[in-house]
Amino acid sequence: MDDGAGRTRWRAGRRLLSLTVGAALVVPLLVGWHWQRLGWRDVHYNYPSRPSGYTQIVNRFGQPCSSAARQIPMSWRAADNGVTYSFRFHRKLGGYPTAMVTNKGGTSTNLDNDVYGHIQNDHLQYYIRHGIYGYNCRYIKGTTKWSTHAFGIAIDVSSAEEYEGKCTSTVNRYHKHIWEGHGWYWGLAFCDPMHFQYATGY
Amino acid sequence: MHRRVVVGALVLGVAATIAVASVALTAPEAQPFGPPIGPRMAPDTGAGELLVVVVGGVYPTRAEAEAMNEQMTFGDLQGYYVVPVAQFQGFEQQAGEPGDFALVSVFRTEEGAREFAEMAAGFGHPATILPERVRSLGGLYAGLGQEAHPDGSGPLLGPIEESVP
Repeated sequence: MDDGAGRTRWRAGRRLLSLTVGAALVVPLLVGWHWQRLGWRDVHYNYPSRPSGYTQIVNRFGQPCSSAARQIPMSWRAADNGVTYSFRFHRKLGGYPTAMVTNKGGTSTNLDNDVYGHIQNDHLQYYIRHGIYGYNCRYIKGTTKWSTHAFGIAIDVSSAEEYEGKCTSTVNRYHKHIWEGHGWYWGLAFCDPMHFQYATGY
Repeated sequence: MHRRVVVGALVLGVAATIAVASVALTAPEAQPFGPPIGPRMAPDTGAGELLVVVVGGVYPTRAEAEAMNEQMTFGDLQGYYVVPVAQFQGFEQQAGEPGDFALVSVFRTEEGAREFAEMAAGFGHPATILPERVRSLGGLYAGLGQEAHPDGSGPLLGPIEESVP
């Protein structure tokens, strides 16, 4: 009886040891994996200066709903439901060729190379949830003012979870510093935590 | 000397206050008939044009339609507009007659309608593009102008060949 209990304890100990050794080998491999290994670099090439207010937005990015506002296509897979969202944005905010991005006729590396790559490289893709949108030729709700989406300078991320009107953030807060570090302004300030825009004062 | 300066300053201050108050008393009264009449852009209803309609639903009453529209959020973007179906000739023939008020957004180009319908579907809302264009009889604003001009210059703000009967 005593011998049986000892054998069980020994087996459990062995299992725990193999689990620990396995974790010690696998975890560093997972954590140590970086987007950079695939050739990604945070290039920061040719970012436009961030406009403030409607006049500066038009001066810098042109008219809303223009072909430039929707020139660059991009796809982004949501981590929670596995759906890949396709959207468009302004040619001045990405589409420049890099090791990770083909030439889409854009003039900078901002969104599709730098922001996206940075989120991948920092293992924050898990916090990109479903509902990802970009350019849309539409007014701000209840107004006849053009939305920043109409200029192709706004992206909604994790829209279902970070819905408009929610004044706290549960997932986008984990990568907001990356957006902000690349010139984007986060909509949490006006209770729209899904929303990132390349403009202030509007 | 010092007292004279103080008294002078006080007199000047009182005189200035009286002057300001008298000007305020002569300011124009608030107009009871609303803001002054002046040039103002009428909302683009596309009256007489043949438009593409995206329908989010049809309801028996305006209240029901508005209540449903409140629930359909598109982030910070404008979604559907509540309009009487009677303001579009040909609407009922295509949508049936389930009610008098509809959630719609109208467009001059198929591309604009398709983009909006995709966005609505992305947000999980119903969006049906009516197969035939309908004729706008005017009425309430229903979203015109929120689509790209085919030449890529900006928003489409006027009739195009396909929308003119």
